[in-house]
Amino acid sequence: MSSQYSVRATPEAREAGAVALAVASLPESFGPAVGENPADVVVIAGQPGWTGEAATAVTAGARGVVVVNPAAENTDSLQAAAQQAGAAVVLDQRWASNPAIPAAEDAVRSMVGRAAILDSVATAPVGTDTGDLLADHLAAVVRVTGPLGKLRVLARGPHGYTSTAVLANGAPVALQGIASGARPAGVTITLLTDDGGVSVALPEPHAAWPAMVKVTGPQGELLLPTIYESAHRATWRRLKEHLDAGTKPSDLQRFAATSESLATLT
Amino acid sequence: MSSHTDATPTLGVGILGAGPVTQAIHLPSLARLGDILTVRHIMDVDAAVAESVAARVGAAHSTSIDALLGDPAVQIVAICSPHQFHAEQVIAACRAGKKAVLCEKPFAMNAEEAARISAVSEETGVPIIVGAMHTFDPGWLAAMENRDDLTGTAHTIRSSIVLPPNARFEDFATEIITRPAGSAPDYSDPEVIKGALRGGIMGLAIHDLPLIRRFTPDFKDIEVLEARHVRPFGYVISLRTPTRTIELRAAMNNTWKPEWSFEAFSDDAALRIDFTPSYVQAGSAVATFSRGSGTTVHGPFDHNGYEGEWRELAALATGAKQPPAAQTLIDDLTFALDIADATAASLDAGQAAREAAQPSVPEGAHA
Repeated sequence: MSSQYSVRATPEAREAGAVALAVASLPESFGPAVGENPADVVVIAGQPGWTGEAATAVTAGARGVVVVNPAAENTDSLQAAAQQAGAAVVLDQRWASNPAIPAAEDAVRSMVGRAAILDSVATAPVGTDTGDLLADHLAAVVRVTGPLGKLRVLARGPHGYTSTAVLANGAPVALQGIASGARPAGVTITLLTDDGGVSVALPEPHAAWPAMVKVTGPQGELLLPTIYESAHRATWRRLKEHLDAGTKPSDLQRFAATSESLATLT
Repeated sequence: MSSHTDATPTLGVGILGAGPVTQAIHLPSLARLGDILTVRHIMDVDAAVAESVAARVGAAHSTSIDALLGDPAVQIVAICSPHQFHAEQVIAACRAGKKAVLCEKPFAMNAEEAARISAVSEETGVPIIVGAMHTFDPGWLAAMENRDDLTGTAHTIRSSIVLPPNARFEDFATEIITRPAGSAPDYSDPEVIKGALRGGIMGLAIHDLPLIRRFTPDFKDIEVLEARHVRPFGYVISLRTPTRTIELRAAMNNTWKPEWSFEAFSDDAALRIDFTPSYVQAGSAVATFSRGSGTTVHGPFDHNGYEGEWRELAALATGAKQPPAAQTLIDDLTFALDIADATAASLDAGQAAREAAQPSVPEGAHA
């Protein structure tokens, strides 16, 4: 039996990150903190100012911090604080934390130099803030493609947005956000090369429905193994591995690329 | 010119132009409709091609439009010649007193030509349809019958096309003779890019622009936000009207996997139509409506839009159906032309901005 880490979440984070469900699905690894005892893991919501809140937590002794849906923010101070305290900070992002992302990233990066176009669509319920949607959308895309060039928003309104960018080889990137309740929310990312490509469909994190990653080449199409695990649970499992091994996740460094992209839009 | 002597109660078809579209699309479609239509006459400027293609179906052949239009066995004329000849040939077919005319898209190169054609059609009473095959696809027609208010409430529309080389599907459909020679364009030339995008809109996007227009009541106020070329051939074009966001994506490459979809979204409903590839007789599109937690699927049906075109022509020629409103054809064409023109203008503006942003090189400097 491995050690169990105690958890305490802010009310906002508890709801946004479905913390109780994720913790309950890893009962040997995590459990709620008791009384006023300091928790091993602190969970915070990623609204503006979250980097300061997370830095405070690690300075106060938290061994791990989970940030749910982080807003774009400079993470340099937090990285320094986490490094000094030896704490692990993981980000629980709506789509970018899906457990299929590492395989999708490998597939996309192996083809992106030959890309002809990258087309991506994010759908979310009516009323979703389009700025938040674009941030979640970009986080997922940048996670698999790496930084985008010439990123800009062509149009934005209550029904969604139209954004444009280029890949490193100059191929066009088209990002569209659509506000509609007609279909389940999610992101599709389609990379096309001259003779195939990669398609990625990322679901919402509140259930364990799997992402679909398909790699197409001259010999046919391969569906990568499906992973029936939500993005929330995958985040917690990663944190457990880092805490057990004493290693540090690269979430904050990766997030800097997304923040940088978003910063160019403002 | 050869002759034919048999007589059947089916309607006689004459085809102007015997290239790959005629060989791989129209003749196989007509072969499935032998109980109502018979190919009677094939015309092509290449006599050998005309003779060879006509021999496949036991039709007469010629190199002359007048010969085909003068052939009393021909009641329906299909115009499959290069774009620039369409207008004059449609008008000539109407004046020849035929019963119906199919013109491959685009049926004219400008709005004035379109209006002239429509006037002749009205004057002669000869119905015309344009070969935008998806508008005759039973999957699309089922979507239109079940759309509720989506054409009025949609706010976002997407057309996405990924096509393998035409030859792959032509070869699944028939045995082609005389393929046009390919070329390797110089994409470093902005004018070549501009021409490629215009060709993409008027040759590829135009298949679905009539569909998009049905969902865009304010289509006359179309604006190009950005237009980009996709290599080796394709486009990414972002459009909007005061009430609609429209995205056009296309890539023609060397993949084996085709995808051709149309989507429309409102706040609470979405339609996705997945079309079957061109050339092959692979049945109809499938239309899927999503409304919150439920989906409704229409199709697949047993024939595609090409066969649908011919069924429509036969119905028009016998008077079983009424022709589409002339204004519909004119509006479909001008919508495509407006997008093509605005795309060219946006590229010109982008080029001018880039040139203005480049630092000037002092006279006498060496690069």
